[in-house]
Amino acid sequence: MLSEERRTEGTALTQPASGRLANPDIRDEFGLETIDMNMGPQHPAMHGLLRLILELDGETVVRCDPVMGYLHRSKEKISENRMYPAVIPITDRIDYMNNMAMEYGYCLAVEKLLDVEIPPRADAIRALMNEFSRIMSHIPSLGFLLLELGAFTPILYAFRERERIQSIMEAVTGARMMFHYIRLGGVKADLPEGMPETMWEYIEGLESHLQPDFIDLIEGNEIFIARTRGVGKITPEKAVEMGLTGVPLRCTGVEFDVRKHYPYGWYKNLDFDVVTDQAGDVEASYRCRIGEVRQSIRMIKQILENLPEGEVMGDTGRRIRPTEGDGIARVESARGEYAVHVVSDGSDTPYRVHYRTPCTVNMQLLQEIVPGHYLPDIMPIMGLIDPVSGAWDK
Amino acid sequence: MAVTLPEGNLETRLSRYLEGFNNRHGIEDSLVEGDLVLVVVKPDDVPAVLTTAREALGILHLSFITVVDRQGSFELTYELLDLRGAQVRVRTTIEGEEPVIGSVTGIYPTANWHEREAYDMFGVAFKGHPDLRRLYMWQDHFDHHPLLKSFEISTRRTFEGLR
Amino acid sequence: MQTVLNLLEAEPIRLFLSFAVILFLVLNLAGILTFAERKVAAYIQLRYGPNRVGPRGLLQPAADVVKLFTKENVMPHRADLWIFLGAPIAMFLPAAAVWLVVPFAPKSVVADLNVGIVFFIAMTSIGALGLIMAGYGSRSTFSLLGAMRGAAQMISYEVPLILSLLGVIMLAGSLSFQDVVNSQSGGFWHWYFLPQLPMFVTFYIAGVAEARRVPFDLPEGESEIVGGFMVEYSGMTWGLIQASEFASMALVSAITATLFLGGWQPPFEFLDLGNFNWLWFAIKTALIIFTFQWIRWSLPRLRMDQLMDLGWKILVPACLIWLFVTAGAMLLLPSVF
Repeated sequence: MLSEERRTEGTALTQPASGRLANPDIRDEFGLETIDMNMGPQHPAMHGLLRLILELDGETVVRCDPVMGYLHRSKEKISENRMYPAVIPITDRIDYMNNMAMEYGYCLAVEKLLDVEIPPRADAIRALMNEFSRIMSHIPSLGFLLLELGAFTPILYAFRERERIQSIMEAVTGARMMFHYIRLGGVKADLPEGMPETMWEYIEGLESHLQPDFIDLIEGNEIFIARTRGVGKITPEKAVEMGLTGVPLRCTGVEFDVRKHYPYGWYKNLDFDVVTDQAGDVEASYRCRIGEVRQSIRMIKQILENLPEGEVMGDTGRRIRPTEGDGIARVESARGEYAVHVVSDGSDTPYRVHYRTPCTVNMQLLQEIVPGHYLPDIMPIMGLIDPVSGAWDK
Repeated sequence: MAVTLPEGNLETRLSRYLEGFNNRHGIEDSLVEGDLVLVVVKPDDVPAVLTTAREALGILHLSFITVVDRQGSFELTYELLDLRGAQVRVRTTIEGEEPVIGSVTGIYPTANWHEREAYDMFGVAFKGHPDLRRLYMWQDHFDHHPLLKSFEISTRRTFEGLR
Repeated sequence: MQTVLNLLEAEPIRLFLSFAVILFLVLNLAGILTFAERKVAAYIQLRYGPNRVGPRGLLQPAADVVKLFTKENVMPHRADLWIFLGAPIAMFLPAAAVWLVVPFAPKSVVADLNVGIVFFIAMTSIGALGLIMAGYGSRSTFSLLGAMRGAAQMISYEVPLILSLLGVIMLAGSLSFQDVVNSQSGGFWHWYFLPQLPMFVTFYIAGVAEARRVPFDLPEGESEIVGGFMVEYSGMTWGLIQASEFASMALVSAITATLFLGGWQPPFEFLDLGNFNWLWFAIKTALIIFTFQWIRWSLPRLRMDQLMDLGWKILVPACLIWLFVTAGAMLLLPSVF
C-alpha cells in the first residue's frame, strides 16, 4: 500500500457542491442540505453493475461519482496465464454485445507479432462478421435508451432484430453469443453454403423495415425529443479532452472512425461514410447510431457482392509463439476505439495483455457532464455513452 | 476553439513529430516505422514530452497507458493518436519496486482514469493526480495490486486471505 | 320473498350491501386489469403474455393473488409502522369509494349524491395523501424522492382535472353524475366530448397523470428510482397499492366515460337496453382503459419539469380559454344549450 505522502491530497469527493448551495450563507439561512444517494449496483436499468454515488439538490445532481468494479473479472491477469489462442474466448466476454470486435482486436494485435499472411477471404469474412456484430449491438442500444426513458416496447422490437442476427451467427459460428470465431491467422471456418444469400435476404429485409419499425416509432415522438434534445450536451473540445471515441465523439461533430483513419483488414477496400452530427446531445447520438446501422448495411452489401474465394485460415504453424515485442492494434467497436496491447516474451503465453476498452474511458463523461442535470437525465446520458458493464470492468 | 485535426501527408507528419520531440527534449531512443513514431524517454521527462505533443504538435488523443511489470522495473507506454493516421508512442522505464511518475492528467484529462487503473493494478503512484483512488478493486482493506507478477493467482487462496 | 327484498331496500342495509358489491367489483376489476394489462402489453410487444395458468391464462390473476398473500411483507427497520401500513389503505379506499357515485345504469347508482363530482375530486386528493404517506413512511431516499415527485404531480394535475369539469357542469347544470348522464341523452352527438373537446382531452391527460401511468409515472419511475414511493413494499401491502392503482385507472376511465361519453347512454336511441344499459357503460369504460394501456406501452415518460410545464403552462390555459368559450356560447346561443 502506498504511504500517505505519496498519494495526492484532495479527492473529487471532498469538493464542495456547486450551484446556489455553494454559498454557505444561503445554506445556513435556509438549512439547506443535499441528499447523498446511491443509484446502486442492483438496479433494473443501469446497463449493468454500476454504482453511482449521487449528491442531489432536490432533483438536480450536484455531484456524480461512478464506482466500478462489480463485474471485474481480471481478464488481463487471466490472459497472462493462457496460451495465445485460448485468450480469444476471454476477449469474447469483455463486451458481450459486440463480441466480434473484441476478438478481432486481439487477433490483430497478436498477428503483428506473428509471421502469418491472412488470406483475403478471411479478411472479408472478419469485416462482415464485425459489421453484423455492430448492428447486433447498436439496435439493442437504442432499445435500452428507450427502455430507460420509460417506453417498454422498442426494446422488444430491437431484440427481435438481434435474435434474427443471432440465428445467422449461430449458423456461421456455432454460437449465439460467444462466438470464438475469429482466430489467429483467419477465421475458424468458412461460411456455410447458401449463407451469403441468407445474409443478403436478411440485410434487405432490415433495410426496408428499419424505417417503420424503429425510426418512425421513435424519432418524431414528442416525449422522446423532449427527453433527449439538449440533454448531455458535449462540446467537441471537451469530447476530445475526455478521450471519448466512437459515437459520443462523433455525435459532437469530430470525425474520427478507426475504420476510416487507421484502416485495417478489409476496410481498406470498403466505401462508407463516417456518420457525424453537430448537436452533441442524446438525440444526436441516437441519429449517429441509426446512421451507423445504415452504413453497416451498406458495407455488408459491398462485402457480400465482392466476397473473394480462397482459404479462410493462414498458416500459423502448430504452436503459436510470437516474436518478442509489443503488438498494438485498434479496431472500431460499437462503443468506440478498442485497442489491445500484447507484450510477448517469446513463450506460449502472453507476458502482458492490456485491453483498452472504450467504455472505461467514456464513463468519465458521467463525472463531468451529469452534474447540473436532473436525476431522470442520468439514464439518457448513459444511453449516449451506451456502456456495457463487461467492457468497463473487464 | 474548434477541434482542428491535422492534415497532410502521413510521412511528413511523422517526421515533423519526431523532429518536434528531438528539438525539445533529450530522447533516449526513437523509431519511425509505418504509421508509428516511438520515442523512449526518461520517466521525469514524460509530462514535458506529452505537453509538447499536445501543445506544439497538436496530438489530441491519448488512447491508453499500459504498464508492464518487468520484475525489477516498470515499463510505461503512452499511446497517442493524432486522429488522422499517425500513432505516437512514448515509452519510459521506471526502475525499482515502488514506481512514481508525474501525472499527465493536467495535459490529457482523459488520463485520469487510465492512471487510476494503473495505480489500482500495479501500484504506480502518479504525482499531481487530482483523485488517485482505485478503480476496480475494493477501496479499503485491499492492500494488493493484482496485476503485479508477484500477485499469484492461486485457487487455494481464500477470500479472507485476500482481504 | 318480497319481505326479504323490502328489508334489503331499507337504507342502511342497502348501503352496506351495495358497498360490499362495489368493493367486490373493484377488487376483481383490479385483478382482471392486471391480466388485461399484461396481455395488451404482450400483444403490442409481439409476444403472448400469460397463457399458461388456466385456459388462455385467464386464471393468472388468481395465481398472482395467491402469490401475494403468501409473500412476506417486508418492512424496513426504521420505517414508521403506522404510516407505512396505513399508506396502502389510504391509497385504496378513495379509489374504491368513488365508485359509490358512479351511475352504471338508469336506476343503478349506489348513492346519487347531488354533489357527486365534488365528492370525486375530494377523494382523489386523499389518494395523493396516501402516496405521500407511502413514500415518507418508508424512510428511504428513493421513496422520499418518489413521494416528493408524486405530491408535486398529483397536486399539479388536480387543477386541470377540476377546470376541465367546469364546462360539463355548466352544460349539465348540476353536480350530480346521474344528471350529467341524463342530459347527454339522444344519441352520441349529444355527448359532451363534442362541444367540450379540449376539456375532454385535458381531462383525459390529467386523468392519466392522476392515475400515475406512463407518460406520467415518474413517482414510480421504474428506470431511475425503481419503484419510487413503493420500493420498500412487498407482498400484499404492495398488492394493495397495485390494486389501488388499477382501481384508480378504472375509476378515471369510468368518470371520463360518464362525463364526456354519455355514461350508460347508448350511441343511438334504438340501441337502448333499458336497465341493461350498464353494458354500454362497461364498453365505454373498457375502451378508455384500453387506450390507457395502449399509451402506456407506447410512449416514454416525461421528466418532472416537463410534466409540470405540460400541466401548468398548457393544460390550465387551454381549460380556462375553453371555459370562457363555453360560457359565451351558452349566453349567446341559449336555444342550443
